Amino acid sequence: MAVLPPGLTQQAFDQAIAEFRAAIGEEWVFTSDADRASYLDPFDMGDQDDHASAAALAPSGVEDCRKILEIANRHKVPLWPISMGKNLAYGTAAPEMRGSVILDLKRMNRVIEVNEELGTAIVEPGVSFFDFKAELERRGSGLWMSGPAHSWGSVIGNALEHGVGYTPYGQHVETICGMEVLLADGSLVRTGLGALEGTKEWQAFRWPFGPGLDGMFTQSNFGIVTKMGLWLMPEPEGMAGVSIRVPAREDFHALIETLRPLRMTDVINAPYTIANGWRQITGGRVRSEVWDQPGAISRERMEELLAERGQGWWSVIFNLFDSPAALDLRLDKIRRAFAEKLPGATIDVQRWEQGQPQESWMRQEVSLAPLGVVDWGGNPGGHSDFGPIVAPLGDRAEEVYSIIEQRFLEYGKDPWIGMFGISSRALIFVADMFFTRTDAEETERCRRLFRQLCDDMADIGVGLYRTHLRFMDDAAAMHRWGDHALPRLNNRIKAALDPNGILAPGKQGIGSWEDGE
Amino acid sequence: MRLKLIAAALPLVALAPVAVQSAGQPSRSPEEIYTTRCAYCHEAGGWGTRALAKRVPAGEAELRNRSSLPPAYTIAVVRRGIGAMPQFTPTELTDAELEALANWLDRGNR
Ligand SMILES: Cc1cc2nc3c(=O)[nH]c(=O)nc-3n(C[C@H](O)[C@H](O)[C@H](O)COP(=O)(O)OP(=O)(O)OC[C@H]3O[C@@H](n4cnc5c(N)ncnc54)[C@H](O)[C@@H]3O)c2cc1C
Ligand code: HEC
Repeated sequence: MAVLPPGLTQQAFDQAIAEFRAAIGEEWVFTSDADRASYLDPFDMGDQDDHASAAALAPSGVEDCRKILEIANRHKVPLWPISMGKNLAYGTAAPEMRGSVILDLKRMNRVIEVNEELGTAIVEPGVSFFDFKAELERRGSGLWMSGPAHSWGSVIGNALEHGVGYTPYGQHVETICGMEVLLADGSLVRTGLGALEGTKEWQAFRWPFGPGLDGMFTQSNFGIVTKMGLWLMPEPEGMAGVSIRVPAREDFHALIETLRPLRMTDVINAPYTIANGWRQITGGRVRSEVWDQPGAISRERMEELLAERGQGWWSVIFNLFDSPAALDLRLDKIRRAFAEKLPGATIDVQRWEQGQPQESWMRQEVSLAPLGVVDWGGNPGGHSDFGPIVAPLGDRAEEVYSIIEQRFLEYGKDPWIGMFGISSRALIFVADMFFTRTDAEETERCRRLFRQLCDDMADIGVGLYRTHLRFMDDAAAMHRWGDHALPRLNNRIKAALDPNGILAPGKQGIGSWEDGE
Repeated sequence: MRLKLIAAALPLVALAPVAVQSAGQPSRSPEEIYTTRCAYCHEAGGWGTRALAKRVPAGEAELRNRSSLPPAYTIAVVRRGIGAMPQFTPTELTDAELEALANWLDRGNR
């Protein structure tokens, strides 16, 4: 079945496709069913066809992109830019609006620069974490990459989506320093100090004379990012891998209060992950092996499974990066803080020093292993998550956690919840939903749960870090302050920069949140 | 171990800026593609191998060790996905590369 951009006739679309072919070459315009299927979301929370694309285009560079934009503007063809298009859990390569044409930037895949002295790099969209790691190794670089749990995605796509890694540079959006952006009208802009001809400071400082615009192009549909500058961490002299078991449900408040000052003062100098009980019982098996009753795995059963494995109700893991002597000092502070506030916690530590072989706890190897978890609930498995941003204050975290845990149980979903201390002053909750993708009842229930939680969170002033395509309008509409002043401003910027609305319609609800799904 | 394999398999290009991976003609051998793109899930213990062990005869779960694997099937699986295996787009793996890979898997990796 042919999929068309909304509002276009088959004839008009065929004409646009013919022009795209002439502009970028026959072989880089994909229209076959098999090719379009490769851009569907394998983990979708419902029918993948809801987000089917009409075609995909693969430009070789900025000039190709410009030609595509000119044609798309004339024919009103919506384009959905992706870098690697492995935004698994949030839509993968699929567009928000059915019938959009994928703008697949994978062929633009150069590592343009790695500056060893300044600890910076410039990359193009198609550079995956696999590619980037290999390139740093090929160069014998003394700089380390910070990657997400699975390495299939791209350095640019992940940073643009405010992605998370597990090093001191783990809040990837904050490592961005300067971008090159193509606007819908074909004009090319360099942000920050890249606006100066002959600059040597593009990647040195984020703030130009005037407003800093990098953030405007993240999680947005205001432009196509064609290059990104970023900061890289020099290889540390040593690392410590810390894992902490915290015995009881009631310890949560104290745990948050113990971790906050340690993270805020940079004693813990990389994101930490807290996992609740349900999140810890997954490894090495599937759900049907431990639970055969309807509804969520009960708290009692979960606690039984935790006890079998000798795990605590909460687990915390993080890595520390410093010289061996300085690591001793950091660990001493952490041990003292826990001894004072949470004496029941057990702390285990592993160590690494420069020159020793790397180990898996360091999370420096590229990997796809984490993806296996999607089959936990059933096959074909699917997976997404609800991700509120929460201040790491005991009361606030408890308030949000309790609401989410209770709603998951109410909707018959296991409350599989992690919390990521990604920055000095914020926790990202990641409440995962696993489902059988082809089970219409279950996916519908997950969507209802998600929207219920959007309402619950908006009522207490909590917003989301990122969402699957299906919930972009819902998440945008949560920003209610001042009669939705911020989403309204986004709409106005969008209308000014992209009057035909051809770039990523529906992205982050910009331009569409008032209409809903 | 795995890291070394990948580093060794990558083409060494001396000039900067470097095209990390060419998406044009099949410049990468099937083995190289298998090692760098499929093996993470399809080697022993990988997610794909674990999932397949549940439904294929003993000894056939690892794709590399299959007694037979019709190329047309592999091609369809890689582009359309199967179960929750994510698909590969034609920019990650061209049609020519995919065909060579599918034939290589069917021929017992020769
Ligand atoms: C099991 C599992 C674990 C995960 N762990 C993590 C994790 O630890 N950390 C984490 O951050 N994520 C994680 N993810 C989520 C996600 O898969 C990754 O963030 C992934 O890196 C995103 O895909 P990508 O980099 O290919 O981005 P893409 O799919 O290329 O891009 C994502 C979106 O950004 C926009 N975009 C991309 N490129 C451009 C551009 N050049 N111009 C304009 N807009 C653009 C588009 O809207 C696009 O859809 C996980 C997912 C799963 C399933
Ligand atoms: C992220 C993990 C992952 C990657 C990477 C991956 N696969 Fe798979 N693959 C799977 C899983 C999981 C299954 C089993 C799906 C199911 O049936 O539930 C599978 C199944 C298959 C099958 C079906 C076998 C059968 O007997 O039905 C083929 C063929 C296949 N993969 C080929 C490939 C090739 C070729 C590559 C590399 C280009 C690849 N896969 C990369 C996870 C992966």
